[in-house]
Amino acid sequence: MSAQARALSSLRIVTLTIGAMVMITPFLYMVSTSFKAQQYVLKVPPQFIPDPATLSNYQRILFKDDFGLYFLNSLIVSVTSTTLSVLLSAMMAYGFARYRFPGREWLFRILLLGLMIPAMMLIVPQFVLAKWLGLIDSLPGLIVFYVAGTLALNTFLMRGFFEALPQELDDAMQIDGANAWRRFITLALPLARPALATATIFTFLATWDEYAWALTSIVSPENKTLPIAVALLQGPRGTQWGLVFAASIIAILPVITVFLIFQRHFVQGLTAGAVKG
Amino acid sequence: MHSLRPWLTPALFVAPGFLVYTAFILYPMLQAVIISLYDWKIVAGATSTFLGLANYVRAFNDAHLWLSLSNSAIYMLFTVPPQIALGLGIALLLQHKSPAQPLFRVLYYLPVVTSWVVVSLLFKYLFADRGLINFLLGLQVSWLSERGTALVAICALGVWKGIGWSMMIFIAALQGVPGSLIEAAKIDGAGPWQRFVSVTLPAIWPTMGFISIMLVIGGLNVFTSVQAITDGAPGGSTDVVLTHMYRTTFAFLDFGYGSAIAVLLTVLVFALSAFQLRFFRNGATS
Amino acid sequence: MSFVPTRRGALLSVAAVSALMLASPVLAQDVTIEFWGSYGNGGNSTQQDALNDTLIPAFEAAHPGIKVKYVDVPYDSLLQKLTTSAAGGELPDLVRADLGWVPQFADLGVLDPLSDTMPDFQALADATYPGVLATNLYKGKYYGLPLDTNTRVLVTSQAALDAAGLSAPPATFDELKAAAPKLKEAGFSVFADGGLGGWNILPWIWSGGGNITNPEITKSSGYLDSAENIATVRMLVDLYNAGSIPNLIIGNQGATGTSDGLPSGEYANIFDGPWMAGIWRDQYPDFTPIYAPIPAGPGGSVSVVGGEDIVVTASSPHKEAAYEFVRFTQSELFQVEMVKTGQMTVLPAYADQQASIAPFYSTFSEQLKTAKSRLAIAQGGKVDGILSAELTKAFTGEASVKDALTAAATQIDAILAAE
Repeated sequence: MSAQARALSSLRIVTLTIGAMVMITPFLYMVSTSFKAQQYVLKVPPQFIPDPATLSNYQRILFKDDFGLYFLNSLIVSVTSTTLSVLLSAMMAYGFARYRFPGREWLFRILLLGLMIPAMMLIVPQFVLAKWLGLIDSLPGLIVFYVAGTLALNTFLMRGFFEALPQELDDAMQIDGANAWRRFITLALPLARPALATATIFTFLATWDEYAWALTSIVSPENKTLPIAVALLQGPRGTQWGLVFAASIIAILPVITVFLIFQRHFVQGLTAGAVKG
Repeated sequence: MHSLRPWLTPALFVAPGFLVYTAFILYPMLQAVIISLYDWKIVAGATSTFLGLANYVRAFNDAHLWLSLSNSAIYMLFTVPPQIALGLGIALLLQHKSPAQPLFRVLYYLPVVTSWVVVSLLFKYLFADRGLINFLLGLQVSWLSERGTALVAICALGVWKGIGWSMMIFIAALQGVPGSLIEAAKIDGAGPWQRFVSVTLPAIWPTMGFISIMLVIGGLNVFTSVQAITDGAPGGSTDVVLTHMYRTTFAFLDFGYGSAIAVLLTVLVFALSAFQLRFFRNGATS
Repeated sequence: MSFVPTRRGALLSVAAVSALMLASPVLAQDVTIEFWGSYGNGGNSTQQDALNDTLIPAFEAAHPGIKVKYVDVPYDSLLQKLTTSAAGGELPDLVRADLGWVPQFADLGVLDPLSDTMPDFQALADATYPGVLATNLYKGKYYGLPLDTNTRVLVTSQAALDAAGLSAPPATFDELKAAAPKLKEAGFSVFADGGLGGWNILPWIWSGGGNITNPEITKSSGYLDSAENIATVRMLVDLYNAGSIPNLIIGNQGATGTSDGLPSGEYANIFDGPWMAGIWRDQYPDFTPIYAPIPAGPGGSVSVVGGEDIVVTASSPHKEAAYEFVRFTQSELFQVEMVKTGQMTVLPAYADQQASIAPFYSTFSEQLKTAKSRLAIAQGGKVDGILSAELTKAFTGEASVKDALTAAATQIDAILAAE
């Protein structure tokens, strides 16, 4: 019995390891390419260990272009949008989950429609609107639309979670005389930390990577975000892959950091949200 | 006055977010629908001709749109089931707690957090004639030179990038499967497969529905990877709905028709979502 | 500033500008004009540096009160950004526009017709190459001035010639056909190109003695499907079927690009522009390209005019300042400085300086004398799409060459009728 169990366990580890290698091989290749000079990028057979290795791609990205500034812009926009979006969606989700009111499901379906329309078709009307509101070419202009654009998924995700919270806790606090807002802040939000973490990871990723709206809305070089800077590295007349991948590796570090920080809450959050789906 | 009070609390919770959504998403969405009824001139202040439903009629007669839709559908059909099956399989393997569990979780999740643009470039590079895939498999295939094999590369990317997402949700769902039921089934002499079908699967069925709906929405909206890998080449044969729409709109400046395509795709996705909701709800009750 | 003519150019433009300042209405206070382009794309910032560090400061010094803000936009997204900005009435004052976009945006009414609005337009226009100037013409008016030009010539790898025992790049269609089997044996494709749009196929069509429309640009049937074009395209298709042209040409995005495949020893000949010289010098220091004219067919050696035009938007609030910058782009300082970064001048007056800066430009200058421009129509992008889609069928064998050309001609007819 125990021999069989050990064999099964080894088999499981071997399968998982092979799978993981398939999953990360493209990454390793990307990391390797970022240390290659252009003339070694397309060598046959492909080199996994760059020879000769060069730091020039990273030097170029870190010191020649204004990557530090773009990185900071992206960080400001993503952190602010994520905070606002998660807060507003949590409130909406709580409202939808905990209260019955006429037109509730109708409003919710309208919200879900926002998940289905191709975002690029909204860009022109959004641009005209942004101009009217004086939001063009500014980081607040990015934040406002990023918040609006991520509300639907976050509310969808968190509504299920709030519905799953035991009603008795809520009732008990109500008897204590706590008003709705206090119950939301002191009871619901702390209990919903896993769901908030989930929404945070999704929103940070989405806003960090957003390209189409940033491209449309931003003009001044000092307001550029990272995705625009990475796109500028690709030219109509030949792309320097080593440079693009070095920039991309730098660009994914914050996303992985956010994932690592929040992933411990991640599992629990998704269960509740998903089961209701 | 009194009859208003029960509405007031939920309104205060829902209103701020919903107002933002209405102003910055819903209002532009209505504009897009209106644009789809015009031969819309993009320039501010220009007069556009009202066409009624002509753009929609045109869509139904647009052979290239149908080809693009079939490519989107192929992508959806060949990426959604593998993402569900492989995501669930890995989640089952990762169910047992072990020191390596968090490490594996991160490795499998890594593709999800990387931007589409970056991984699309990476796959274009991997599937190049002199790329890593041909090297590892010892092949001489021009993957991106024809529709069939190019779609293989695009679908491979979709599955590779999506497995981690469904895996994480399944891991979560599996933790909610009552251990007592599984033990009971064991005592009844049920094998692993029987236990999975009779206990685990029903318990995670609603999760399956959620994942399926989100993946179908994402599958039919595939865009960035196709644009970055082939942009429709060769000769438009790998176009999907959104690359066709993008070119119509931003290269040929035919905004009215582009909007009509977007509205039709939204309606299709909405219908499919409604159908899936019903399917997974019925499955859960039966 | 070791470059003497440059300083003279700056002085000249100062003088010219002072004269204009006296004549034209006084510019109100400080204005900032915005200029969009793609000079800095692709990780090579030489041109953007020249613009930001040399040219714009020189312009601003000569024009107190005018500031120029250059914005680099990803080339692939520039059209989308221009379109969206046009919808919001937020276009910049100046755009460095791809040749093909000038008719498209003129048609939308967002460009300032310089031939009507700039008093000295004719004088400036007369100084440029006529073929290059023509790319700014749409329905009887000029909407811009040429900024830089280029054309495609044959670029050959010496390694390939050596390996196949050839002495010189193919000068004619026949030499090309004869070289193909020898090169194939030596492991080289005789020719490679990255697509079948107008930019790619027109040098072949024109050199083969054909055309894609009548001179009035009203009809394609009877022109695109002519016997000359059938023979030209069949030659390429035969080479393709013989394995001497790689499937990069039908849009295989996985094939090695021409700019890497030539120096790395996959391709023997490609068509390319003058900008590659600098890129190859950095990335393939051991590679020395050979430049030669497009192989001559029954129609001679005829290439396609490329480059960018500078346009002023109709919505620009600072038109006088924008015109000043347009004038500046035609100055010796601007043109010669850009020559040093791999752009070709649009003014014959500076051709000699250009040749002394980089002798290889002479092949391009020579080719430009006969080079033609693509169709000056608003829907040029659609024509490219049609050519590419239909010709692909001829290469893959889905359709005969004749049928493919006929099908393309019919579709292009419809577009021309709608113009």
